[in-house]
Amino acid sequence: MEMIKAQDLSYEYIRVTELEQGTKEEKILALNHVNLEIEKGSFVAVLGHNGSGKSTFAKHINALVRPTDGVLWVNGYDTKHEELIWEIRQSAGMVFQNPDNQLVATVVEEDIAFGPENMGVAPTEIRKRVDEALKAVGMYEYKEHTPSKLSGGQKQRIAIAGVLAMKPKCIVFDEPTAMLDPMGRKDVMDTILRLNREEGMTIVLITHYMDEAVLADKVFVIDDGNMVLEGTPKEVFAQVEKLKSYGLDVPQVTETAYELKKLGISIAEDILTVEEMVGAICQLKSTI
Amino acid sequence: MSIKINHLTYIYNMGTIFEKKALDDVTIEIQKGEFVGLIGHTGSGKSTLIQHLNGTISPTMGEILLDGENIHKDKTKLKQVRQRIGLAFQYPEHQLFEMTVYKDVAFGPNNMKLSEEEVDKRVKEALQTVGLPETVYEKSPFELSEGQKRRVAIAGVLAMNPEVLILDEPTAGLDPKGRDEILYAIKQLHKQRGITVVLVSHSMEDVAKLVDRLIVMHRGKVAMTGTPREVFAHAEQLEEMGLAIPQISYVLRQLRKKGYCLPEDIYTVEEAVKALYAFVKKGEEV
Repeated sequence: MEMIKAQDLSYEYIRVTELEQGTKEEKILALNHVNLEIEKGSFVAVLGHNGSGKSTFAKHINALVRPTDGVLWVNGYDTKHEELIWEIRQSAGMVFQNPDNQLVATVVEEDIAFGPENMGVAPTEIRKRVDEALKAVGMYEYKEHTPSKLSGGQKQRIAIAGVLAMKPKCIVFDEPTAMLDPMGRKDVMDTILRLNREEGMTIVLITHYMDEAVLADKVFVIDDGNMVLEGTPKEVFAQVEKLKSYGLDVPQVTETAYELKKLGISIAEDILTVEEMVGAICQLKSTI
Repeated sequence: MSIKINHLTYIYNMGTIFEKKALDDVTIEIQKGEFVGLIGHTGSGKSTLIQHLNGTISPTMGEILLDGENIHKDKTKLKQVRQRIGLAFQYPEHQLFEMTVYKDVAFGPNNMKLSEEEVDKRVKEALQTVGLPETVYEKSPFELSEGQKRRVAIAGVLAMNPEVLILDEPTAGLDPKGRDEILYAIKQLHKQRGITVVLVSHSMEDVAKLVDRLIVMHRGKVAMTGTPREVFAHAEQLEEMGLAIPQISYVLRQLRKKGYCLPEDIYTVEEAVKALYAFVKKGEEV
């Protein structure tokens, strides 16, 4: 069954820009008849250049914005219906780019408790959820720390725990590692993968890092509001030229394989990881 | 203009329980016209270091010499120092505020009380250097793409004609195309103007392509310095510091570990393609 389903999902708004004399108004079609299905328990990545519409799509899942045309169902709830907003937000939590904008309390465990408290969860249950959530992101020993003294990656994991404590079925991550160093990025990605593989959480990851997208079950590419590519990472990343035309990139190993192929070397086009590349080169050597 | 950092130590919240040594006896020399990459994980001290270079904070101990002169000695001269050493902060586009791109870039030079012609010349040169066409001059900066906004912000620093340009993670949050455009612009301005550039980055792939020399910070100290080739040769040490080498370098390393004869110092896609092509072809001939 699908966790998220979009049918002809469109979103149009009027952008007003202040000019020296008066203002300028233009209609922007941020999403243009998007159709997609995201299975329960799957991990999907959404790629697209800045301003492509991918964040607008993410905000729809959380009902922060509603479709101007078409329908979006989250866990079976039609996001058009304002009275369903709490059901929708409890089904799909959201983690944003900047952890500093998402943390509210001065003590880590109080921050995690904020969500369930607002939902009216009983105190004993809150205690349980906070501990579970902190363990799930590997931050249990920091429960009495101050978030502001933590590193970027740690803060982001606290933000994830805060969402987990509300027991969502799906989490949407909007560029969660953009502001982190390599170590922080790895910690956050490990956490996301574990939530998906061990807890069966549906994950929607919006990212500019291609090496993160290769870990997903499925990749969607949005360009100027249109869904232009979808498939497994192997299917999508094999289309190097097409991705570049959308202002995107491929992992270094994929690009290297692509260039070698252009030079006449018979190597697979869908190499995504260091291990695959090493394997492919070894095979080339052994067959000679 | 050379920058000499001598035994620089900086302690936050000195004398309180929150006391923390952010920089610990750092000594670095940056030559005129050099392109230097500054890397290190969050909290390694790199931001504290660049804030010192711009005179935003003063050393607890040690000194920074700009052409032999201590920049913190005479506080009244700090304004001059900031014109000579331009700093583009993280997410510099958050500081855009004028009605048009042109006016935003002109803000700095206007404050320097330059003639109108000089301001005009500098604004146009700066926008040209970062690759923004004349068609955007009269647009509101807020109409532009994220990558373009960031280039406007960098042009604003360039228009002050600094001798040194420091960029703090100029590609954070940008899509691959925006990232390539910014990096290309930085490379061009280094080449054309011959100014000293200090690039703070988390991306090993980016610094590998651009810089002459890398300075690796760890726990407030300079842990390594050298060309990207020299630094990336120490992959294990970098990993211990929470850093990494470019993805493609790992492929070559693993192949070498399997006993294949391949060069050690490959860290860009172009180099890897060349080396692997030669490697595979060599086998065929035998």
